[in-house]
Amino acid sequence: MASVVQLPVVPPCLPASWSSAEPTAKSVSPLVERRLLPAGAAYLAHVKRAVHNLTFEEHDK
Amino acid sequence: MAVPNGTAEAPIEVSALPTVVGINFGNSYASIAEGSADCIANEDGERQIACAVAFLGEEMYIGNQAKHQLVKNSQNTITGFRNLLGKKFSEIPKDKPTASAPVIQHPEQADEPAYKVQILQAAPTPLPTTASNTPAASQTATPRSEPTPAERILTVSEVTSIFLRSLIQSAEDFLGKKVQGAVISVPAWFSEAQRAALEKAAADAGINVLQLLEEAGAAIVTSISNASAQDISADRTQLIVDLGASALELSLVSVRQGLAHSLATLSEPGVGGDAIDDKLIKFFAKEFTKKTKTPLAVAPASDVQDRRAEAKLRLAIEHTKRTISASPGAATCSVESLKDGLDYTGSINRMRFDMEVRSVYESVYTKVKELVAAAGLDLYDIDEVVYIGGSASLPGLDEHLAQGFAESVVTPFTSGTVVGGGEGDPTTILSRGCAFQAKLLAQLAEETEEEREVKRAFAYGSKWQQAKTTTKTIGMLFPEEGAEGPLGGQWIPVVLRETAVSARRTVAFEVDLGESEEKKLGFEIWEAKEGVRIEKIKPPKDEDEEADEEEEEEEIEVKEKVVGKEALLASLTLVAKEASKKNGRWSTKLEVQFVVDSDGKLDVTAWEVGKAGRGEQATVTVSSA
Ligand SMILES: Nc1ncnc2c1ncn2[C@@H]1O[C@H](COP(=O)(O)OP(=O)(O)OP(=O)(O)O)[C@@H](O)[C@H]1O
Ligand SMILES: [Mg+2]
Repeated sequence: MASVVQLPVVPPCLPASWSSAEPTAKSVSPLVERRLLPAGAAYLAHVKRAVHNLTFEEHDK
Repeated sequence: MAVPNGTAEAPIEVSALPTVVGINFGNSYASIAEGSADCIANEDGERQIACAVAFLGEEMYIGNQAKHQLVKNSQNTITGFRNLLGKKFSEIPKDKPTASAPVIQHPEQADEPAYKVQILQAAPTPLPTTASNTPAASQTATPRSEPTPAERILTVSEVTSIFLRSLIQSAEDFLGKKVQGAVISVPAWFSEAQRAALEKAAADAGINVLQLLEEAGAAIVTSISNASAQDISADRTQLIVDLGASALELSLVSVRQGLAHSLATLSEPGVGGDAIDDKLIKFFAKEFTKKTKTPLAVAPASDVQDRRAEAKLRLAIEHTKRTISASPGAATCSVESLKDGLDYTGSINRMRFDMEVRSVYESVYTKVKELVAAAGLDLYDIDEVVYIGGSASLPGLDEHLAQGFAESVVTPFTSGTVVGGGEGDPTTILSRGCAFQAKLLAQLAEETEEEREVKRAFAYGSKWQQAKTTTKTIGMLFPEEGAEGPLGGQWIPVVLRETAVSARRTVAFEVDLGESEEKKLGFEIWEAKEGVRIEKIKPPKDEDEEADEEEEEEEIEVKEKVVGKEALLASLTLVAKEASKKNGRWSTKLEVQFVVDSDGKLDVTAWEVGKAGRGEQATVTVSSA
């Protein structure tokens, strides 16, 4: 199950004038290569998902 | 209600888990922890066990007892062997003077470093007399002949095996069980050859090595398992400061819900406990001379007498430093017959101590700034400081570094987890992390090829350690009429920069919908520009103080983290169906999930959470580049 983080914020209501604008970027900024530290339960979960080729939902089960 | 006899519910769990331990194997000290991550003391009651092996006559000493042999029996006392693992004799610098047994070329093995020690070999015990001996000629046993002096050659690998075996023996004595596996910590700079040599030495000692774990990894495992870590965001930037005996090791680590990668590392030899010791023994030597009028020059010492006095002082201040770390009061240093048969007892309080070793703290601070700058970050970007190593137990160091960090930074000193061997104790953090990790690895299944692949992902250089990470923080912006600041609304960061993908983050919060019956809800998804703004301001004039008029008024730096808009990726709208009205205003509970896949494709899904659970969802996808 995905852990849901409860946030203590209450965003304000939309301005009447707001309309969704055209995106200024087509995709998120390029990713970079890093080396993970092979330690802990989170790394294990990451590898399990990758090795078994699972989505987050499939891995939740 | 009475439970009928014979139910098979709640059977007694027979633990099938193997007994595993974690070992912190430093160059100066080692420690060992068991599966539930408590540090184990050896038979001498030590938790920090000196990496020393000494030979005296027929006896072999290991640990702090061996270290004490450095005063009178240094030629037969072996220290500093961990850093020589996997090295050829020709690779070892010979110019450094040693206070222990010198490293020699092995007499038979080519280019192999070794040690030569003098021992006494026990003479073979006479054959036992049997009861059926007839006739009873003499009841007195043949006298045991004297042990004979001999030379023993030990390779670095053999010394390591002896030492590791004794650690495991201590654990087995404590646990009353055989140890079936261990995770051992190694420095980040350990090469493949050094790792191989350590693995071989451990195997020769009969240890089943589950993993050689990088020290930063071990520290992170402990720090994220801490109960006190719950107050701090699971997505955070950690600075790991490892101050041991001979060197300083720094790493800046991005920790994202327990998954970590290093952003930058730095090693600085010569900054550490040995440097602190130099300052401290000079201080006490001076005090000794003042008290007794006997000259004593140490660090460096020139004659034999001073050298021996120096060795004694070095041993004595181990206790002094530990007292300084543990309490703010005065700490003593006592040496019997320090020089010319004169005993010495002196004391130092924490304030004086911090003054004497200030330059060491300052070196650490300088290097921290260098590291953070190399990573393109600011000290204010650090959320948490984690300390490793004996010398990082000194509260003065944390106080010295505090000047540079944001006030909100979490350190084990500010959260009070160092004292009394708490979770943040720098001297046990590595062995504990290794113990946690050993437990995790011991539970892995190995039935299928895929399961074995998962297990192999923990080995050195596995491709699964390669990952891609985001470079900009992605989040939600809720526009607001007439909002202050450059953003024009409420900003909620969701997937932070330097998050390894694939990643999923889910947040929930209340949203204000206003008074209108339209109940429309919407937000924009942005990549953010983050930075730290530094302003120099003149401190407010103090009316009462007219004294230092001639002194130039110093400007003070005021820092603030700032967020700006970088690029709009998408926006999402939905009409609330589960809203409730309070004081004339509508509001609803929203849950939003961000998933960035391994190629960088972003899916954002939002849904209301009403009485019946999650409602209809709205989704938007930002394709990968
Ligand atoms: N409580 C303490 N307060 C201050 N200093 C301490 C404390 N405990 C240990 N030390 C010092 O810490 C140093 C040992 O630290 P540590 O065990 O981390 O070293 P190491 O990693 O084995 O060594 P190296 O840095 O040489 O690789 C020694 O100088 C020791 O005197
Ligand atoms: Mg160390």
